[in-house]
Amino acid sequence: MADAKAPPVERGAPAIAYALAGLGALLLLWGSYWGLMLAPKEAYMGDVQRIMYIHVPTAWNAMLALTFAFGCALAFLLRGDWKWDARLEAAMEVGVTLSLLLCMQGSIWAKPTWGVWWDWDPRLTTTAVMVFAFSGILALRRFVDDPVKRAVWSSVAAIVAYVDVPIVYFSVKWWNSLHQMQSTPQTVSSAFHWPLRINAFGILFLMFGLISLRARLATLRLQSELGPPSPKPVAQYVPAGATGDTR
Amino acid sequence: MSGTGVIEGGWEFVVAAYAVSAIILIGYAVSINIRYRAERARRKREAERAAEGIA
Repeated sequence: MADAKAPPVERGAPAIAYALAGLGALLLLWGSYWGLMLAPKEAYMGDVQRIMYIHVPTAWNAMLALTFAFGCALAFLLRGDWKWDARLEAAMEVGVTLSLLLCMQGSIWAKPTWGVWWDWDPRLTTTAVMVFAFSGILALRRFVDDPVKRAVWSSVAAIVAYVDVPIVYFSVKWWNSLHQMQSTPQTVSSAFHWPLRINAFGILFLMFGLISLRARLATLRLQSELGPPSPKPVAQYVPAGATGDTR
Repeated sequence: MSGTGVIEGGWEFVVAAYAVSAIILIGYAVSINIRYRAERARRKREAERAAEGIA
């Protein structure tokens, strides 16, 4: 805990982040080719169902990114280590980007299948709340200059906003939703598994590559704000109950 | 949609969904890379200026 409140340090080269993102992009290309060219048509939705090969993995990974953000917020509040604040910012930004993409893909899929671009059904509404909540936290971070206040407020807000993420997931089970239920290996034909799984891992690797690179960017900005060579004094966040509290 | 309830065609929607995904993912990845490199360059300049000040 002694060095936990020191300014964050960018360790190592960003090669791993680039490698993860590159591997993710390659997997996405492969999975998308399989889904678009090799997988059979679905019996009722026809070719439109091919959107699922990108939409479902985007949804899984958007929720995973926001779950990681939740973990980072908790870790920052408990440990006071700035690296968790950098990771929180990165995970929220990537999670919001994937969530916005998810809404666009879903909208494009909804038009030919439901006949509308958008409907205020429970799944879509809770997803919209999730996007606006986390976008609001990212906006809050831009308006707060004090790094300690910014980190604490956005961590608390991220924990509160995260309450909506399991609601998004279970909304199709809890309420009578126009959106279909979650698919499982038992409900999806084996012919559709592989492109779905390959794209899921593709977006997963891409997501962690982007989070890693974005966290490095946030770390560099925090270094400028918190420590040398900036003339500003080093700001500290000390978790409640930590020893050596000098406030 | 045919009278059987089966959706026919729709490739334009499939192409649109994959094109939007590619544009957003590539655009966002490029944006992070540009911001990261710019911040690194700025940080390096700051460190050099600080070192000159000390010297």
